[in-house]
Amino acid sequence: MIEVKHLVKKYGNHAAVDDLSFTVESGKIVGFLGPNGAGKSTTMNMITGYIAPTEGTVLVDGVDMNEDPEKAKKNIGYLPEIPPLYPDLRVREYLQFIAELKKVSRGDRAKQVHHIMSKTGILDVSERLIRNLSKGYKQRVGLAAAMMGDPDILILDEPTVGLDPKQIIEMRDLIRELSQKHTILLSSHIMQEISAVCDEIIIINEGKMIASDTPENLIKQMVEKNGIHLVAKGARDAIKNALRTVSGIKNVKYDEKNEEDTIGMTLYAMEGKDIREDVFYALVKADCPIYEIHPLAASLEDAFLALTGSGSRQYGGKKNKKKKEDAQKGKEEVQETDADEIDAEVHETEVSDAEADAGQSVSEDVTEKEEK
Amino acid sequence: MLAIIKKELRQYFYSMVGFVFLAFFLAIIGLYTWAGNLSQGIGNFEATLGNLTFIYVILIPILTMRIVAEENKQKTDQLLYTSPISLSKVILGKYLAVMALFTIGILVISLYPLLIHSYGDEVRLSLAYSSIIGFYLLGAANIAIGLFISSLTESQVIAAVVSFIVLLLSNMLSSIATMLPSDSLSQAVILAVVWIAVCVAVYNMLKNVIVTGILAAAGEILIWVIYFVKSSLYENLLTKVADVFVVSSRYTDFELGILKYDAIVYYLSVIFIFVFLTIQVIKKKRFN
Repeated sequence: MIEVKHLVKKYGNHAAVDDLSFTVESGKIVGFLGPNGAGKSTTMNMITGYIAPTEGTVLVDGVDMNEDPEKAKKNIGYLPEIPPLYPDLRVREYLQFIAELKKVSRGDRAKQVHHIMSKTGILDVSERLIRNLSKGYKQRVGLAAAMMGDPDILILDEPTVGLDPKQIIEMRDLIRELSQKHTILLSSHIMQEISAVCDEIIIINEGKMIASDTPENLIKQMVEKNGIHLVAKGARDAIKNALRTVSGIKNVKYDEKNEEDTIGMTLYAMEGKDIREDVFYALVKADCPIYEIHPLAASLEDAFLALTGSGSRQYGGKKNKKKKEDAQKGKEEVQETDADEIDAEVHETEVSDAEADAGQSVSEDVTEKEEK
Repeated sequence: MLAIIKKELRQYFYSMVGFVFLAFFLAIIGLYTWAGNLSQGIGNFEATLGNLTFIYVILIPILTMRIVAEENKQKTDQLLYTSPISLSKVILGKYLAVMALFTIGILVISLYPLLIHSYGDEVRLSLAYSSIIGFYLLGAANIAIGLFISSLTESQVIAAVVSFIVLLLSNMLSSIATMLPSDSLSQAVILAVVWIAVCVAVYNMLKNVIVTGILAAAGEILIWVIYFVKSSLYENLLTKVADVFVVSSRYTDFELGILKYDAIVYYLSVIFIFVFLTIQVIKKKRFN
């Protein structure tokens, strides 16, 4: 169990971590989420005792990191953002060194090294120089090092960064497997990863905690967002007119770019209303076949974006990559959407103003309010 | 700690630095021994070693440049300082690893007096071995200095260059000091100038005009008051001060076969101070 109490880290006048308190219960996987520079790594470095906090305490299984660092560190396996590898050593030598460093008893060393290598899937590279390994293997060797000595707690700083999709899935499976025996604190800025593995999520931004809850609850807490994304074929006016007949639509936002002859749009329904069926029939009646329809479920990404505010454009890019069906629409649209979504929702009453602004800068019909 | 020592030695020999160091060390000493002793049939090995203290200026930086700097650069320090082992043990382990490598070289040259001895009786073994002990202590002290400098940077090159300059200066300091005028007035002037330079450095760290101003003024007043009250204190002051910082100056006693406690204590203190400072530098980095 990790208890973090009122943790503060100041660099000069700038607070990288500002009064952060949370608890990671034994046996849980907790995700640590935040944009770059939010203070994730700094916090992890403080929990593992690499850097000292300006204020506050870290308790690892009840042991104060500042008072008895050696005992506290014994219970922690740490995989930093850059795996701490010695490029000039062989994998087996490196892990043997780690085993000695972590005070694995002499008799157990070879056995444990072998066991961990087979668990992380690096047995076939065990005699290779670390320098010659691919990024994915390096990451696994780093994880193997963190697992050495069988610590109760694993702290993994962005364990999947720089891996290819197949490796990401493997790493995720491995983490899930490890969670049966270990308490895991995992940081990432990739939502999928966190929602796929974690029991609990802590979102931080600019060193402060923004939210801490289960993924499901976070989504629930999310700002109202039950809308649908729709691509239909037909003339704009025909679609517009058809949609006018559907009751319960609060707002419509047209995509900027689309396949030829089709129009993409996001429909925002009024609270608690499922408009999918009505929209379907209305468009069928208007002779506008629907190519694509899917609910704009409040994903963790949406929650994250809404909670961390507008300063995280880069996540627009990631979101784009994740939702392949959106990919074709280009980056501008996503950024555009991010800004608009927030505008539209926060200032519901001022939609017409926002619309006017948006219309000037992009194109006349990016945002349009439907009359109900 | 043993784990650290083993790892360091492994890295020394995998990266060739260990072999390069030993090769140079033995080649140069071998050459001097051959030229000074063997080829001329003279048994004064202590004089040969006495001419060789300069090799540390070149060889120690090669040995110590990567010892901490490379960990900082590769971020492997994160591994070492988050492992259940105290920081002092990590640094001590590193120091002992360098010493182990260095000791191999010293053990090999310890055979040389015996080798020379086998050609005749005129080798005074006690002199030869006392100078080897001094030579060893001098190297050990220089390694501690190199270790400290390596902990200040992330770059091996900077560590090597700075170590080289520091060791060179510490070798030259006594001769520089003797070149300067030795009467008390000029010594006081030099001291006053040095004090101002120190205060400028302090100002750079503190960025506080009042504190450094008071510090500078107080120092200057003290220097000149002492000068007018008891100017004899300043005679040859710089040479005396320089002597404290010239690590190699203690070596001459060993060469004469005198194993003085104060010289041994001096070298052990230098080692202790610099290993201690290295630990402090890294500890301070944690608090940053």
